[in-house]
Amino acid sequence: MPTDSASVETILIVDDEEAVRRTFGEWLESADLGCDVVVAKDAESALKHANHHTIDLAILDWNLGAGNDGLHLLEDLTLFHPDVSAIMITGFAHQATPLQAMRMGVRDYLDKNQDLDRTTFLKVVGRQLERIRPARRARRLHRELMAFRSAVEKVLPLVQSAAALHEPLPLPAAVGNLIRFLTRTTGATDGVLLVRDYDAQRHPSEMCRAYDGTGRRLDAPLVPFARSLAGSVVSMQKPSVMVDLDRVADAGNLELQPFEHGRASLLAAPMNVAPGVQVVLELFDKQSAGGSSTFREEDRLLVAAAADFAEDLLRQALAERQMHRVLFDAIEAALGASASMAESLEGAAPRPDEPPPAVVLQRLRQGLDEDAVKAEMTLRLAESIRVLALRHGSPAVQHCIGLVENLRQLLDEMTGETRS
Amino acid sequence: MSAPPPDNPFDDLFSLLRPDRLLRHPLATGEGISVCILDSGIERAAVESKFQRLGQTILPIEGGVFTAERVEPLPYEGHQSTPHGTTVADILLTLAPRIRLYSADVFGPRGTCQVEVLIRALRWATNVWQCKVINLSLGVPEPRLQPMQRRHQLLRAVEEAYYKDVLLVAAADNEHPLTRSYPAAFAPSLLSVDKGRFDDPLAFAYRLNESVEFQARGVGYMGPFASEPATSWAAPHLAGIVARLLSLRPNMKLFEIKAMLYWIYQSLERSGTP
Repeated sequence: MPTDSASVETILIVDDEEAVRRTFGEWLESADLGCDVVVAKDAESALKHANHHTIDLAILDWNLGAGNDGLHLLEDLTLFHPDVSAIMITGFAHQATPLQAMRMGVRDYLDKNQDLDRTTFLKVVGRQLERIRPARRARRLHRELMAFRSAVEKVLPLVQSAAALHEPLPLPAAVGNLIRFLTRTTGATDGVLLVRDYDAQRHPSEMCRAYDGTGRRLDAPLVPFARSLAGSVVSMQKPSVMVDLDRVADAGNLELQPFEHGRASLLAAPMNVAPGVQVVLELFDKQSAGGSSTFREEDRLLVAAAADFAEDLLRQALAERQMHRVLFDAIEAALGASASMAESLEGAAPRPDEPPPAVVLQRLRQGLDEDAVKAEMTLRLAESIRVLALRHGSPAVQHCIGLVENLRQLLDEMTGETRS
Repeated sequence: MSAPPPDNPFDDLFSLLRPDRLLRHPLATGEGISVCILDSGIERAAVESKFQRLGQTILPIEGGVFTAERVEPLPYEGHQSTPHGTTVADILLTLAPRIRLYSADVFGPRGTCQVEVLIRALRWATNVWQCKVINLSLGVPEPRLQPMQRRHQLLRAVEEAYYKDVLLVAAADNEHPLTRSYPAAFAPSLLSVDKGRFDDPLAFAYRLNESVEFQARGVGYMGPFASEPATSWAAPHLAGIVARLLSLRPNMKLFEIKAMLYWIYQSLERSGTP
């Protein structure tokens, strides 16, 4: 199917009279409406053009000669361009089959015998272009968004798998290796890595996590950073040693973590990973040949060096994770934005089942009974059938016609009415 | 029988000049001296209850929490961001219990200190709180003072304090073999302090070294890591000594304080008492 990717609207004039085609063409060219104008002398050449090019507005002669009429042509054009609008040129407006015309997209009529001159012609065309242009822009934007969504949805799995491939080491595994290495070399009994992440915009602002020597996350509830040993060692800015932790906790401004209670000695090292992210390694209960002892200066220096290394490792892992997170967030935001925009565009674009323009209804009224009540009833019936046709297609209309005819036959038999 | 020799009218005066008389003078309590601790906040209730147990009444601690987002500090609600600042406050009050203490929390809930926040707090303590002594038990490593402009801003703030007759006491985090720690490395316009092995809280030493002039006791009395020798604990010891001396003569300049500390140290060393 052709698309309306062209930057300007295309108006198709179809009339079997060469003089009419030329006149309409000249009127449009001289009005400088910013449109492409295409003329066709019959239905066949019009459809050939429609097969390869966009048509936004069709100006159709009701009677094209050779047994063709404009309404049938319009029906065929809508197969190529469902949103095409049409202006019907006719001398027999009151004889037109209005229901079909509405269904096919006839938006206005011009009567060759009454009001057709350059001014009325351009006025009617201008009115239709004003209606077509925003809807056309919305349709194009919608299509582009759909294309964007489709492209992003194809890319997303690739990005996710790339992120998985480039992650140098899962964080807990790196942590576990680090703790095991330092535990062994310092003679500590075990160790824990505390990660504190603070973001004022988040609730809760502070998130603390602890990992043990196997890299497993500890489930125990953690005390606030402000009252923790980890907080203190971050302020110390260097690896520090403590003994008899429970005694120090009596100071009144400190709470021990569940895994810190009962410890005889501690060697804690801060790592400056990122703003708002504090990481502290805690090694507990040094054991030496003679039994329990305290961490020595060489232990502190070793942990300081290891902390520098771990700091780089964690910083790199965090940066990569943040980069991936940012990328995922951006893609998700773009998908969300395109979805909501597409939804709003669908709401803004003219829907096929919206009521026909007032001018068409006016024309219909003119062709119907002068009796206002009857005319209103006829219009209501016509509108009901139009909606039925749009929503459920021709079979539903056929069924409806059958029901009406059955009802008529029944009433005819009951009343003895034989008039057709 | 000859009359007793008349009293030497200068004896009393000279007797005051003994280092012990100065440092341990009953009036050397820090009275009348405003001291700011630029650190991680102070847990006020913990400090107050400790000194209450000791039968001492300290003046109410005031302060603010400094952040990168605001020019003015957030209200200080009596809490610490980490226990470090509370340990520093305890040391200062142990030496000079009558000081008026201000807590400038430059770490805040984020738990990290930015140079710009440090500068802002330094100026606030100088100009708004009008503190005579500012204790900095923290250091900014040289790499974090890049670009050079940032280092100049910190230097300018330190010099402003000097020219406003404010005494900065800064911990010299001199453990790193390659990088220097600031603002302690701006030694001439402040008092830079290293940790020393002293049993007496009032003991100190003059040890002129690269970017360091003084040593003071390097262990604290309260809170985590207090027993771990650290320059963080040495700085408030010297700040406390300075506050004691200033409470005897509040208008002393930085160079006078340095000269007096030098003289006290020399005198005690000559007498074999350091």
